[in-house]
Formats: sequence, C-alpha cells, structure tokens
Amino acid sequence: MNTTTKATASQRSATPLISLPQLAPWLIAILFLLLLPVIFNSGSALTIMNQMAITIVFALAYNMLLGQAGMLSFGHAVYMGLGGFFCVHLMNMVEFDGLWLPLPLLPLFGGFFGLIFAIIIGSFSTRRAGTVFAMISLGVGELIAASSIIIVAFFGGEEGISADRTMGPETFGFDFASQLEVYYLTAIWLVISAAAMYLFSRTPIGRIANAVRDNEERAEFLGYSQRYVRMISFCASGFFAGIAGGLFAINFEILTEENLNLGTSGVILLVTFLGGVGFFIGPIVGAVVFTLLQTVLSQYTEIWQLYLGALFVATVMFFPAGLTGLLAMHIQPFKLGKSSLLLRPYMRMLVPILVCFLSIAALLETAFHARHAPIGENEMNLFGIVFDSHGVLPWVVIVVLVLGSGFLVKRLAPELKEAWDDANYLEPRS
Amino acid sequence: MSAPAIELRGLKKSFGLAEIIRGLDLKIEKGERHAIIGPNGAGKSTLFNLITGRFHVTEGTISMHGERIENLKPYQINRRGLSRSFQITNIFPKMTVFENIRCGLLWTMGYKYSFWTLVSRQHHLTERTEEILEKIKMTERRDDIAGVLTYAEQRALEIGITIAGGADIIMLDEPTAGMSHSETDHIVDLIRDVTEGKTLVMVEHDMGVIFDLADKISVLVYGEFIASDTPEKVRANAKVQEAYLGAASEED
Repeated sequence: MNTTTKATASQRSATPLISLPQLAPWLIAILFLLLLPVIFNSGSALTIMNQMAITIVFALAYNMLLGQAGMLSFGHAVYMGLGGFFCVHLMNMVEFDGLWLPLPLLPLFGGFFGLIFAIIIGSFSTRRAGTVFAMISLGVGELIAASSIIIVAFFGGEEGISADRTMGPETFGFDFASQLEVYYLTAIWLVISAAAMYLFSRTPIGRIANAVRDNEERAEFLGYSQRYVRMISFCASGFFAGIAGGLFAINFEILTEENLNLGTSGVILLVTFLGGVGFFIGPIVGAVVFTLLQTVLSQYTEIWQLYLGALFVATVMFFPAGLTGLLAMHIQPFKLGKSSLLLRPYMRMLVPILVCFLSIAALLETAFHARHAPIGENEMNLFGIVFDSHGVLPWVVIVVLVLGSGFLVKRLAPELKEAWDDANYLEPRS
Repeated sequence: MSAPAIELRGLKKSFGLAEIIRGLDLKIEKGERHAIIGPNGAGKSTLFNLITGRFHVTEGTISMHGERIENLKPYQINRRGLSRSFQITNIFPKMTVFENIRCGLLWTMGYKYSFWTLVSRQHHLTERTEEILEKIKMTERRDDIAGVLTYAEQRALEIGITIAGGADIIMLDEPTAGMSHSETDHIVDLIRDVTEGKTLVMVEHDMGVIFDLADKISVLVYGEFIASDTPEKVRANAKVQEAYLGAASEED
C-alpha cells in the first residue's frame, strides 16, 4: 500500500498547476469579453456591459458571504459604496492636488477601503451568524446611508460627489475618455476579481467557510473559530465589493447616497439569489439577467420592477437554487442520456407558456395604461398592436388568452412532470 | 508517571437552580478506553459538553495532560488534541464525504486560516484524507454529498471526521445509537481500529459494546459517579446493579 501511495504521489506532483479543461471556461469567458464590444459597439450597449461587469463583481463578492459562508447581509452596498466614494475622492485628488495615481490601479484602492470598513464593522458583526448578523448588517447599512446625507463634506449630501476620470496620468497612451477604453479596463478587473474569488473558494479558509455555513458548531470542534472564519470571509467579500465600487466610480464618475442605501443592498441580494447562491457562476448569471432586464425592460415598460419582483418571487418559490440551479437540474438527465425524453414535452409546453406569460403581461400593461395614461389618451400600443385600453373587446381577448393558455399549461404539466421523472431515473419506472 | 489524559476535580454544573453535575472526580489515564454509562438524564452528555468546551463549568476543574482546560473555547480544546463526536449526527450535510473528512484535517495539518494555498494542490492533504476514507471504508462514497448517506454511514463519517485530525483523546457520544446489530458490530470494529494507541472516552447505552471495548467504566447517576472501575468489578458492584444494570435486565 505504501508503494501505491508513493506512486500516486509522484504521478500527482507531475500534474500542471491548472489543467486545460479547468482553464477552458475562463479562456472562453475572456475571449467573449474581448469580442463583446465588437458586436455591440453602441454607447448605450457599452454602458450596459460596464454596468453588468460591475454588478457581476459585486454579486460574486456578495455570494462569498451568502453562498460560501452562509451569511445573509442586508447592508452590503456599504462596502461597495464606500470603496466608490473614496475612489471619487482619489480621482479628485489626482485632478486638483496632483496626486500621481494611474486610473487602472484605482479599483485596487477601492478594494482597500472596502476592506478597511469590513474589518471595522466585521469585528463586531461577525460574532454570530444568522439573524443577528443580518440585523446588524441592516442597522449598519441604514446608519451609513443616513450619515452620508449628514456628512456633506465627504459624501456630498443629496447630490453626491463627482469626479473626472480623465485627469490622471496616461497609462500606455490611454486617457480613458472613451467608453470602450473603460470597458476593457472594467473587463480586466472583472477577470482578475472573478479568478481571485474563485481561487479563494478553493483555499483552506474557503473550504472551511463552507463547513461553517453547513454546521458552525462542528467546525469549532475541528479547531476552527467560527467567528474568525466568518470575519475573514467578510473581509474578503468587503474587499471585492470595494473593487466593484472603484469600477463604479470610474464608469459613472459620480457616487450618491443611493450607492450606500438599502435599495442597492436589496438588489444585490436579489441578483445573487436569482442567479443561484449554490454555484460559483450563479451570481454571474444573475447579474447578466438582472442588468439586461433592468436596462432593456425599462425601455419598454414603466412597470418593469413588477416583472422583476414577480421573477424573484417565482425563483424563490419554484427554483430556490436559482437560474443556474434550473440549468444544473438538467445535468442528471443529460448524463443518463435521457435528455431527449424532455424535448417533446418542452416543445409542447413552449407556446402555451409563452402565450400565458405574454397575455398576463398584456393584462398588467393594459390595466396600468387604463389607470395611468393621461385622460383622453385611450389608445395604447402593445407588441405592435394598437388598441383602446378602455374598450371592452381588448379586455375580453386578453382575459380569454390568459385563461386559455393557463388551462393548457395546467393540462400539459403532468405530462412534463412524468417525462421529467422518467428522464431522471436509470430504470424505466412501472 | 505522567499526568492523566483527563482529570476532573470537584466538577459541578448547574442550569439555573437545577444541578446536573454534582461534584465529579475522575482520572482517565493515557491510552485508556473509558466508558461512561448511566440512565437517561444522568448528565453524561452534559459531562461531555463540559469537557469539550461546549458548556461553561459552574465549579471545579478539568485538566488535560495536566493543563487546565475548563471554560476554554471548543476550538482551543480541539487544538490541544481532543476531538469529539456527537450523539445527534453532526456532519457537514451539503459537502461531499471527501470534503467532510478533509475539514477535519485542515487545522491539524497546519493550514489554519490560509488563503494563499489551494487545497487541491496539497497532495499530502489529499492522501491523508483518502487514507482515512479507506480506514472508515467509505472510499466508494467519496464524492457523494454527506446529507444523502444512510444513517449508519453518516455515523461512520462522523467518527471519521472526529479522528481525522489525529487527536490523541477521542470522545464519542453514543456512537452506536440507533444502529442495527450488524451495523453496531461494524462500528465497534471501526472504533477499536481507529482509536488504537489513543485515549478513548465514550458514552454508550449498549452494554455489549461497552464490555467489548472498555478498559474502565464509570457509572454516572444523577450527576454523581457511583462507581469507576474495570468492567468486571463494575458488573459485580451491588450499587451499580441496583441503580442501573438491574433496571436494564428487568427491562429485558
């Protein structure tokens, strides 16, 4: 037995640091990030992509707490926001006091300030997990958001503080005046941060954070102080949130109270949960979907937040593992080679489900228009169809569509359920 | 002679007005397999929780290898080389069997709170984990999520986590609770195997297991030891027969 372990040991030490299959998703992601602005090169598209990248970094940082260490925070915007505020001040010092600081390094300082505040606040908030931690994070979040209005000298009061990112020393000939340059800067920081956070989850402290999440008491009987483990996770998360804050400062050149308040803290919880807390890529998926919905949907409808809310509630209720979890559910049938069983019921469900969603949306939109449009303006345009939101016929059509498609979905559901069960078992069930 | 592995002196524990542990004195020598028995509610689990730092001591002292350990934190006591299992299965349910065992190894192998090493690159750590998996005969279950194991497997995993760190004092709280006969036999073999050369303290209800494993038995009744001796002498002790064994045989 001794010889076999020695043999495997020498075999293992010969393996490279990272194998190609492990590296492949990262290379594809980097390539994708490089090519994105070639495909979507409009100014608004670049803005959306930058915002997406920032949200991804923030959501990944948030998931270091929620998913990895099992800590539910209602005030994590504080660390991103403070990192961002300090970065705006640094940019102003570069502009007015002649501080030498190349812009690409700024997010690192954002991370640094996020870390400092995480150390201060974490020193007392990580004593307990669960409700106690959640309540303290909520209180601290409110406290800092409120002081940001009061301490005008630093936070700029209601209108916030702004800066100009182009005033620093040029880096390799870039002055970051164009959106595209900012995009690539953001993308580089996104890759660095995501890789660092992924590697963190693979270190002893990252693994023990999972153990403390699962069973904090057992971890204590294995030599680990649950409080220290939470504290370190919290600081790491604060650091990366601060980096996201620095990127935000560079992109938008302004920070306000909104970056610190409960709204922003709530959104990041929503984003992370939507994507799935149990997977490393969950927050990435969540951030992409959320930013797209937020920016694209808000162009078409005033009640986009209602749809987002509904999506969130539906996720929590039906897919607690998030969108990534929904995808991961299909690995088992795929491995068993039975994914084809699902194809037919999915195809049959597709149209009724689409019609059901769209007609419910139509119902909401029409109701909203009927109540909120200026008096006399009864005509509305929905999916390219113009009709009278006060008329009886459109309402009848919409209600019939909702009920009809809903009925079809309900009728087809058992078939899908059966196909799903079949696809998940090796043996055909009797 | 060296200091005993564990020594209790005048140990007391009260919850409010209720005194659960009423002045215990006990020496457990190094390498001894010591069983603590007693009827339900006698305070066996409380005693375990006092020794391992889960509860605060009301009065008295606990020493480990001659050093006082009462009222230290569980992780501080663990770092001195004492590891325990729990009466109710206490594992990391969402992690794999392999990771469960590895968690038990991380501290004692010196990784502590490191965030600059990758666990997958630590071949020594992986090998140790696999050795322990082999020892508890769970190599095939390596990549399964611990939460989906059978009850007996979870109990074996619990023992695996407990012994993984290489602690020289192992405390097992009812390791065979809720197991069938064959499962119990398997676990007893496992315990004997993995605690070779170590100090073992266990709470157990199964008399077969106790007389099979223990070098010494202490009988705890209402927070006091009424006997503490070799199995033969404890079996012959009239007080014990009256208080405990007698009652047990009547039940049969």
